[in-house]
Amino acid sequence: MSGGTYLVAAGCTINDITGKISGLCTAKGSIHISINYPALVPFFVLGGGALVVLLLSAVLPKRPYRGLWAGLTVAAGVGTVVDGLVQWQQLNGSSVTPVTLGDQLFYDHMGAFFAVLFGVATVAGAAISDGYLEREGLDGPEPYVLMLSCSLGAVLMADAAGFVTLFLGLEILSISLYAMSAYHRWRAASGEAGLKYLILGSLASAIFIYGAALIYGATGSLQYLGVVSFLADNALFQNGVLLGGMVLVIVGLGFKVAAVPFHFWSPDVYQGAPTPFVGYMAAVAKAAGFAGLLRVLMLALPTLESTWRPIIWVLATLSVVFGSILALVQVDLKRMLAYSSISQAGYVLIGLQAGTAQGVRAVAFYLFTYTFMVIGTFAIVGVLQGRGEARNDLSAVRGLASRSPWLAGAMLVLMLGQAGIPLTSGFLGKWVVIEAVLGQGQYELALIGMLGAAVAAFFYLRVALIMFLAPESPGAPAGGAVTLSATGGPGAATAGGGPSDGGPESSEPGDSGWAAGAGRAYSGSDLQAIVTAGLSARDRALALRPPPHTRVRVPAATAAVIAVCVVFTVFAGVSTPVLSWAHAIALPWSA
Amino acid sequence: MVNAAYVIVALPLLGFALNLVFGRRLGEPLAGWVGTFAAAGSFVASLITWVAMLGKPAGMRVASLNIFTWVPVAGLHVNTGLLVDPLSLTMVLFVTGVSSVIHLYSIGYMHRDPGFDRFFVYLNLFLFSMLVLVLANNFLFSFLGWEGVGFCSYGLIGFWFQREVAAVAAKKAFITNRVGDVGFLIAIFLIFDHFGSLNYSSVLGTLVGGHPTGLMAGAAGAIPGSTATAITLLLFLGAIGKSAQIPLYIWLVDAMEGPTPISALIHAATMVTAGVYLMSRVAPLLHYAHATSWVIASVGTGSAFLAATIAATQDDIKKCLAYSTISQLGYMFMAVGAGDYADGLYHMLTHAFFKALLFLGAGAIIHALADNQDMKKMGGLARYMPLTTVTFGVGWLAISGIVPFAGFWSKDAVLDSVWQMNKVLWGIGAFTAGLTAYYMSRQVGLVFTGQARWREASPALAGAGGASGHAVGGPEARAHGPEAHGRGEHEATEPGLPAPPHGGEPKDATWTMSLPLVLLAIASVLGGGINFTAFGHFDFLNRFLSPIFPYATPITLSTATKWTLSLVVLAFCLLGLGFGLRTWRTAEHPALEPVFLRRAWYWDATVAATVSGPLRAAAAALAFVMDSRLVDGFVNGVGTVLGLSGRVVRRVQTGYLRTYAIGIGAGLIAFLAYVTFRVGS
Amino acid sequence: MDQFLPILLMVVLASAFAIGSFIASKMLGPRSHLHAAKVGPYESGIAPRRELAARFPVRFYLVAMIFVIFDIEVVFLYPFAVMFRQLSTFGLVEMASFAAVVFIAFAYLVSEGALDWGPGKRLGSRAGAPVTRSLNATVRRVARPGTPPSARPPVLVEGASTGSGAGARGLDPVRAGASGPHGEEG
Repeated sequence: MSGGTYLVAAGCTINDITGKISGLCTAKGSIHISINYPALVPFFVLGGGALVVLLLSAVLPKRPYRGLWAGLTVAAGVGTVVDGLVQWQQLNGSSVTPVTLGDQLFYDHMGAFFAVLFGVATVAGAAISDGYLEREGLDGPEPYVLMLSCSLGAVLMADAAGFVTLFLGLEILSISLYAMSAYHRWRAASGEAGLKYLILGSLASAIFIYGAALIYGATGSLQYLGVVSFLADNALFQNGVLLGGMVLVIVGLGFKVAAVPFHFWSPDVYQGAPTPFVGYMAAVAKAAGFAGLLRVLMLALPTLESTWRPIIWVLATLSVVFGSILALVQVDLKRMLAYSSISQAGYVLIGLQAGTAQGVRAVAFYLFTYTFMVIGTFAIVGVLQGRGEARNDLSAVRGLASRSPWLAGAMLVLMLGQAGIPLTSGFLGKWVVIEAVLGQGQYELALIGMLGAAVAAFFYLRVALIMFLAPESPGAPAGGAVTLSATGGPGAATAGGGPSDGGPESSEPGDSGWAAGAGRAYSGSDLQAIVTAGLSARDRALALRPPPHTRVRVPAATAAVIAVCVVFTVFAGVSTPVLSWAHAIALPWSA
Repeated sequence: MVNAAYVIVALPLLGFALNLVFGRRLGEPLAGWVGTFAAAGSFVASLITWVAMLGKPAGMRVASLNIFTWVPVAGLHVNTGLLVDPLSLTMVLFVTGVSSVIHLYSIGYMHRDPGFDRFFVYLNLFLFSMLVLVLANNFLFSFLGWEGVGFCSYGLIGFWFQREVAAVAAKKAFITNRVGDVGFLIAIFLIFDHFGSLNYSSVLGTLVGGHPTGLMAGAAGAIPGSTATAITLLLFLGAIGKSAQIPLYIWLVDAMEGPTPISALIHAATMVTAGVYLMSRVAPLLHYAHATSWVIASVGTGSAFLAATIAATQDDIKKCLAYSTISQLGYMFMAVGAGDYADGLYHMLTHAFFKALLFLGAGAIIHALADNQDMKKMGGLARYMPLTTVTFGVGWLAISGIVPFAGFWSKDAVLDSVWQMNKVLWGIGAFTAGLTAYYMSRQVGLVFTGQARWREASPALAGAGGASGHAVGGPEARAHGPEAHGRGEHEATEPGLPAPPHGGEPKDATWTMSLPLVLLAIASVLGGGINFTAFGHFDFLNRFLSPIFPYATPITLSTATKWTLSLVVLAFCLLGLGFGLRTWRTAEHPALEPVFLRRAWYWDATVAATVSGPLRAAAAALAFVMDSRLVDGFVNGVGTVLGLSGRVVRRVQTGYLRTYAIGIGAGLIAFLAYVTFRVGS
Repeated sequence: MDQFLPILLMVVLASAFAIGSFIASKMLGPRSHLHAAKVGPYESGIAPRRELAARFPVRFYLVAMIFVIFDIEVVFLYPFAVMFRQLSTFGLVEMASFAAVVFIAFAYLVSEGALDWGPGKRLGSRAGAPVTRSLNATVRRVARPGTPPSARPPVLVEGASTGSGAGARGLDPVRAGASGPHGEEG
């Protein structure tokens, strides 16, 4: 212990042994606070946006203009994106001090990068929420206020330079998300989601703050830089408190990013919460959690690297494996996407596990591309499910290719992207994280990642295949079903170059009905067997129900978001400007 | 002004995107006009670039424009960038020019086809890919264009994919091209291995301040002869596939299953010349690989001769022209092999004009005769289709090498350089020129002169319920397929369909189809003017291209020799012409059509027998052992296990908060237990 | 260890107070002989099948939360007043913006009718699905005889429009009773 430090005023501490005054109160009597205002612009924009919406909702008549709240939110999101880019430009080659606001905030490339990410997610999230809320009859200013404050919390988490700020951001983000999850008033599942999220989230927050307290107890500082300089100067004989604190902090943030085994909330919440909010939440909560985790582990606790890397290793492996396997048996689309996002978090953890600057950049790129993919996907699910989220199971996409080919095409690209098929940003993302751990000689983790991706490819492609199933009832003869040439689908491995007639290879289909014989065209019923492989009998029937008859109505804003997400997924997959941008992140530490 | 180069590439891409997204809504003919304007705009941009380039001194006409870094892996930096130099610009000018004309033609030709918008989507994508191929500044980006044109060719050959023949022909073209592409790819690997770069400027050298650098500067021993030979031979394998030379030419004839504008644009004027372009592009490498030059010249000569003999016996008007294309491409490769790249390109240009003209003319005839492609069932059309006759006649004289049409000058220049290389090859080439004149005259004779045999062949046209109808309706008879409301079968009963739009006599096509014919005919007459090598200062193309071909073999023949050679070749041509015209006033001359030639020297049959016999059996066996048993078994096993474990593991997810909290707590305790072992370390 | 002694003392005192309170109420409270029928809500002699959901006006939560917000404002204002001079202009601006934020929240609350305490006023006038009195919304809140425990009525009110079957699948996630649709079915 280096003696007690006392908080005199907000941010002003006095060490009672050395008498050293630190923090905000640099001179006795008057308090001088150095603030780099450009660093605070995202907070002003997002917080100001939230307040404007709130104030307008108080003074305007109850239903002013359709799309007003969404428009304001989109404007604030665009402002954040623009300011993130401006910050990036300012930081390029300048010697701005990385910390500001009394050492509470970082002002660096990483923060600017994540500000852009959160801004993008806000724009997309608000744009797709508009149509959804209108359809569900839930339109109002509240979700947008919550969304903006959530983004504010996310930026705060990414910029935090100390545990208190991080916790503040975490709570702002979490509380907004609890309310957003429960926002669907006439859907019981939504309320359940919010309640579950709230209770477990509070547990995680408590664990986190306890961990921060333990770290403070061990090092005497709540600021990352203070922790790291303390650990550099002092060798701890008994670091149990510090290690315990670290574990608790990892658990608290691991909950937010939904890493196995702290993931339990996410399938229930993803399934219950309003769909567009889930897309937004999947992107923002994950990115913010990882931003916090990156800073804590890489910046505050680099000296404990040999201890936290195995922990992250376990989290990454469990997430990839269980996320993929559990997604395999889901028939609810949103639930499947929840498990898929758990396995995606596993890949981000793989990048984090590398513990290098390369790993950090890989993580940043992965999260940025995932933002587009996941929001686009949930946007499509949102329009497909129909009023009241009536149809969330796999059958909702059945025959989409013929009902609504553009939507099916978009979904296909996004599914391929998340499966990590080349020429999509998902492939490049997986590539860079695996490259990062390979750089550390972690071949086994790279192998797990690749195997997990192979398993995951199946349930993504299952969605893609169901879209191409004929929309008839499952009992109908195969004649009307789409016949798929042997070169497509998961049977690709079996396709080979076999001739289409004769030859011994066309004799028998697989016993399990999992895959039909090689080399011949799949009939409709074979295809049904393939797409329902791995499901229980009951789920199989559920997945093969005929699709809803209602026409799919895609609001213009949602369509625009989907288009942008698809284009981005392909663009960032076939070219490298985005990757180069992520690689240009200058880190405030020498990793 | 070089920035206009971006526009050249961007416009077709824009046209493609527009037609892809809105094509269905634009419908006919708007989708066609979008495509046509994209191509024409691209042509205008090429002209602007060209004029800008002419303003610079001869040695400074190279510009490399980087767009962005495509692949930045370790040592491999591949840019997507454009290289504008005389070679690529020459290609771009004729590609966009001919494309614009054929886009226009297609609006008329594809009238009433249900796939109208899809056709223009492919067409613009093709143009984009072709421009990428020729404008790319590195091998990999070029390869992207190379594969792009291959894909479009596949899509357009199989445009009427409901027809088995078309689908099979498309596959055949694609797979045959794959064989060549393997060579191209391995060549790219070798190039990267040896040079550590794929950029044309770093591999082949470039012009800096009017002086060549790198390989272009031709330092002795800059690259081992064996490496250069290996690379160029592999590239030539790619070129053989794309440009349909022996032994991979078999796909081009089947490719005639595609719509006729496609045969004209892709399978005559542009795509098939990509191989010639590629070999000209790597001219600095060829300089170090004499063996390759010999291989190229020999394969070219062989293809020219062989294809000409086959063409002389074909009945299908398009197949005849297809073999003729193979033959003419052979001439271009002869020039490349002889080191006379400029004249190879010269012949490519003139050939693009007259061959596109001949194909479009053939298309007009096929259209007018209700999709009849059998020349034996034509005849006497000169009376009914005067405009087509005149324009087709110009193409015929041009390809036959009759003075003063374009073909004469370019073929002459090619043969001059071949003479300088090897007199035997020249002999074959000169004889082939005569053969060319013969088979083209046979075609003209069968189609335009003599009896109007189509009256009996196509009762629909004659308006009389004659015999059995479409006995030899060409592929396009069913081409427009059931979805086109049976254009072939119900022609006469459905008024308003394009062919024949009148009482039953064939006649010239609409203006969108006729205007291209006229334009191309003019080009076929005057096109020779771009490079009069025989007259001192009129060799514009040679002078334009010479800076980037510093090692082209100069033609050192005396004027007297040149004149003599020209006259000899011309004599051959006139002989063939006269004989052909005289003989083929009537349709039956079995002695002149030996079966082995009609069956194309049995090469196709041999390939088919090999592929479908032992090769197919081996593949089937492999598929059975590897795919069905090993791969499928493994995949099924893994799938079953994963599905089961998933169903077991999901039981943990009970839906109860207490279980979840226990899970989180258990994880927390496990990690805490772990760190207690690490305390103090 | 000395510095922790006061904390220990505090813990002991707190525990003693809590335990003492229980013991005292047991000792001092009126004694009576209790049995199930006696403590039941209805002295009809029929033991209830299940615990009744306690009805509790949500307005009390709102009031509590509004109180907390202004309470916190005061909590911040007080130390600001103490440090007013040292913080000077910056502090003034800072506190003004803080107060403005709270005020906007207050304005929102007023517009939402959170402070309309008179009878007959309803919250959630913006609600899309009207909460109508229907069989689902009212009567079935109370279990009917013979209803199996698993078919517990919804705690969160299902809109009348979603109606029938969904009602039976409502759940009370915190309590151990029903198997929620959100868990995985085994």
